[in-house]
Amino acid sequence: MSSSEVVLRTIGLSKRYGHLLALNEMTLEVHSGQVYGFLGPNGSGKTTTISLVLGLIAPTGGHVEMFGLDTRTHLSEALHRTGAVLEGPSFYPLLSGRDNLRVCGALSDGVDEKRLDEVLDLVGLQARGRDKVRTYSLGMKQRLGLAAALLHDPELLILDEPTNGLDPAGIREVRHLIKGLGQVGKTVFVSSHLLSEVEQMCDHVGIVKEGRLLTQGSVTTLLRRGEVLEMQVTDPDRAVQVLGGLKWVDAVKREDDHLVVDAPRQRAAELSRALAEHQIYLAELRPRDSSLEEFFLEVTGEEQAQS
Amino acid sequence: MLAAELLKIRKRWMPYVLLLAMAAILALHIFLAGYLTWRNADDPFQRQEALQSFALPWSLPAFLGTAQFWGAILLGILVASSVGTEHSWGTVRQAIIRGQSRSQYLTVKLVAMSVVGGIGFSLAFGIGLAFSAIATALTDHPITLDVPGGPSLPEVALMVLRAAYGVLPYVLLAFCLSVVGRSTTLGVAGTLVYVFVEAIVLSILAGIGGHAADARAFFPGHNVSAILAANRIGDVDFFSFAFRDPTRRDLPDPTTAALVVGGYCLAFVVIAFSVFQRRDISS
Repeated sequence: MSSSEVVLRTIGLSKRYGHLLALNEMTLEVHSGQVYGFLGPNGSGKTTTISLVLGLIAPTGGHVEMFGLDTRTHLSEALHRTGAVLEGPSFYPLLSGRDNLRVCGALSDGVDEKRLDEVLDLVGLQARGRDKVRTYSLGMKQRLGLAAALLHDPELLILDEPTNGLDPAGIREVRHLIKGLGQVGKTVFVSSHLLSEVEQMCDHVGIVKEGRLLTQGSVTTLLRRGEVLEMQVTDPDRAVQVLGGLKWVDAVKREDDHLVVDAPRQRAAELSRALAEHQIYLAELRPRDSSLEEFFLEVTGEEQAQS
Repeated sequence: MLAAELLKIRKRWMPYVLLLAMAAILALHIFLAGYLTWRNADDPFQRQEALQSFALPWSLPAFLGTAQFWGAILLGILVASSVGTEHSWGTVRQAIIRGQSRSQYLTVKLVAMSVVGGIGFSLAFGIGLAFSAIATALTDHPITLDVPGGPSLPEVALMVLRAAYGVLPYVLLAFCLSVVGRSTTLGVAGTLVYVFVEAIVLSILAGIGGHAADARAFFPGHNVSAILAANRIGDVDFFSFAFRDPTRRDLPDPTTAALVVGGYCLAFVVIAFSVFQRRDISS
């Protein structure tokens, strides 16, 4: 599969529950090899989207394509190439972790004992594999969910809030695991409401709010969309006046002894010259990427709502 | 997929407990209601009637009738639990997201339950046969099929199949209710209520007579009674622990009864599959 190939595509996907429009014409694309973060606040439609993709619920409108297959007619085929962890992983409490994986393996056309050992080892459950799942903590169930998803070595992984219930060490391990999967060419679609998590794990992101996809793209591109230059100058008060007069500067803010200037980074030389013409000299100038959090608040309008 | 389904059932305690319950019911039927009654009876006619309730081969239709009735309830509980807990545990989602189609999911459940039910019913028959043989031996009567109107071995097999067929509509009702209601409770309670209410309604209709009595032909229980009545050895009526009367002479023809029961079974399966096919499965 080439890296440009679309592995997962939703086309105008909508879901209505009575009067509530849970998902509104969601169109997104996940390409092969991407670790795609599906970011949005709680109740924004992330789990609904994943449930629609996995065929658990039926769309009110639109459809899903996986591996180029229309899931309205080829769902089973597509899901055999997919592994998924749903929010709140579900297992048979009376069976051991290993037996639960055996059941999952049988549903995926059979998996040998060696593979069971491998995935249990990978998620750190080898020692507790023979214990009944009812004795597992939420974090252990979450790990078992990951093991079940990886069992048949799928091409696409769909993970709904995979770090829920994990302790900080567990979160770090799962984050590391997901990044590792991306590095070996697996396509990962991971939903989260945690910005830092997506920022650290994902190379692509889609931001969803109130059932709408607000934006999607590579994390680096999205973060560069709103460019900011940070500088230290000899006379900050006069510099604010000078820079404020330039028409291509959107805003100038003072942060302690620094100035934060909203301006394209390719105009840094012009900015320096303008200041020098007023005998103001630069002590430091560097581009500052906005964090995903700032970007998220910006596109979802949360910042305005908060203020 | 079938192996996975059987693994899930095998690892639960419920099938073993239900089998024990069935063994206890058969023991009550053969030893308490049969053998002890025979031993304490003074009247020769009463002794003969009591003997035929537990001694082989006359006991065959009697304990098969009991196995059918209680088997329907116990297997109904197992089926409803097997379907309902998948919803309460959320494990139904695991099956669907691993590429098992919805019709495959329900078909595998039905096939697994048929295997378990078949094994369970065979074991119940074996237990009943063993208890009956022990009780017969205690009376010093010979253990034989060679009595007037006694069945051959293939006929005994047919008797077992008739009784097992009588289990189906109730088990499939439990299956249908638990699929539609996504609940073990609804499957179990619905089936139990139906079994007992149906018995009462059939008695009332029989008491009213006329067209009301004819309406019993539309009830699964009345038709199951007709199928079980075909198990009668000669003209000997038999006692059953069931809330129905397989000794009545106004029962439908067994073939017609089998078709009506088959119709109900089909209806329950079609309802379960069509509802499950279109349903949203959420957490």
